[in-house]
Amino acid sequence: MRFQRAYLIGFALHFFLLVTVASRDFFAVLADGSSYLPAALEPHWRVLEDATFTVLGQKLPPNNPMRETIAFYLHAAGIEAGYGYFAPNVPYSYKLVFQLTYPNGTTEYELPTVGTPETGMRLPTLLDFIAANRYEPLRQLILKMLAYSVWQHHRDALKIRAVFGAVITPSIAGYKRGDEPTYAVVCAYDFGFTKTEPPRP
Amino acid sequence: MKPSPRLWQQVHAWFFGGTSDRWLAALRIGLGLQLVLYCITSRADWLQMFTLHPGSFVTRDLTEALVTLGAALVPRVSWFISAGEFIGLSEATILWVVWSVLLAAGLCLVAGIFCRSAAIAAWFLHLSAIKSSALLSYGVDNFTSIGLFYLMLSPLPDHLALDSRWRKWPPKSAQLQSFWQRVLQLHLCVIYFFSGLTKLLGSGWWNGESLWRALTRPPFDMVSSEVLIHGKYLFIPLGLGICLLETSYPIFIWPRRTRLIWLVGIIAMHGAIAVLMGLYLFGLIMAVLNIAAFGIDLFRLHGKKVI
Repeated sequence: MRFQRAYLIGFALHFFLLVTVASRDFFAVLADGSSYLPAALEPHWRVLEDATFTVLGQKLPPNNPMRETIAFYLHAAGIEAGYGYFAPNVPYSYKLVFQLTYPNGTTEYELPTVGTPETGMRLPTLLDFIAANRYEPLRQLILKMLAYSVWQHHRDALKIRAVFGAVITPSIAGYKRGDEPTYAVVCAYDFGFTKTEPPRP
Repeated sequence: MKPSPRLWQQVHAWFFGGTSDRWLAALRIGLGLQLVLYCITSRADWLQMFTLHPGSFVTRDLTEALVTLGAALVPRVSWFISAGEFIGLSEATILWVVWSVLLAAGLCLVAGIFCRSAAIAAWFLHLSAIKSSALLSYGVDNFTSIGLFYLMLSPLPDHLALDSRWRKWPPKSAQLQSFWQRVLQLHLCVIYFFSGLTKLLGSGWWNGESLWRALTRPPFDMVSSEVLIHGKYLFIPLGLGICLLETSYPIFIWPRRTRLIWLVGIIAMHGAIAVLMGLYLFGLIMAVLNIAAFGIDLFRLHGKKVI
């Protein structure tokens, strides 16, 4: 009986954390105004979201043992994120195009390449992260890494321009009218690499 | 305030009522298969996903720095690299060792050999891998992680595992079997409830636009828009149907009369996502979790007690 009580207490804690994380992400959706609920309620959702941060120890200093322990447990159990996939609305998709310029002035276009279709399904996570990230140096760094991976296959290229943008697919009505997907540039960077840098093994 | 003895007895009976271990066999085999497929499909990009060498998609140190911000104890591939380099192994060698051990753990889980060790190794290596490639992870990795966490803690081996047959181990506690199945069941209820509820808050799921956009959004546009537009009248009922199916999952998955309908509906939804959006691994893991949690007792075998 005693071990069963211990199991139930453990479950109660686990379930509490699980629901708190799911609620945090749910309140975040409500607070950022992407739902159709009245905007006047948004400050209240923000307060609730804030409360979940407190409960999960995310307001403690980064190296606080309690915060570290909770964070470790959430990641270990796979419950560190909520479940609002494709919600409340399906977001735009993003596209990254590399324009390669060669010494003779010719240009080529490349897309990020992966080895298998399954890895291709993983790229949107990276592109969504780049889009959501507002810290310019980090965005530039990630795009430079991706440009470098392309340059490895085109080592004669003098310059690579990474153009990152949103693909706006037409609505159902727009498609019936004959609208085509459009590409809205979010940012673009030029990178230059030299052959002295080591090739990929 | 103490819970009444009657309430306590009901809670106790609900969690520890006892059940067979077939659900655990389904979870073990399904997760093993999932891991094997994960390894096979990521093999071509494995080094590029994890190497520190320039030329990878996003170098491992950057991803790990982002993930471990405020969560320094989270396992990551760098730990294995550091340990391996200490004994003179190269980064590439260690990455392939990690891949091979993860594959072996998946195969062991499918066969039911060294179940507990394989489950722990699979959980740890898989968690390390998805955290070190977090910028390339999506829902499938998260759900595999959840499944492996419960599998690792559940009373292994089940009676279908080779461990049980070869070593003639007696069956594990039926009470613990039911406890861990209940935990998985409740977790799925939380997942679908929040997923459905959040969708209901977006206008796109009421007018069919979200479903349309989900199916035409690159790279998930496996079926051309020209074909999809023929089913334009289905987008509204299907979009709303998905929201209602998910939000009401915690209610209708329990009664025997509605369980089969909701289970088939949810698995059909994941099957459609797999086929129409190319998310095969995601479809598989969700089917595995649902079948282990609620599906296995729909198939009564040998007259064993089910919950």
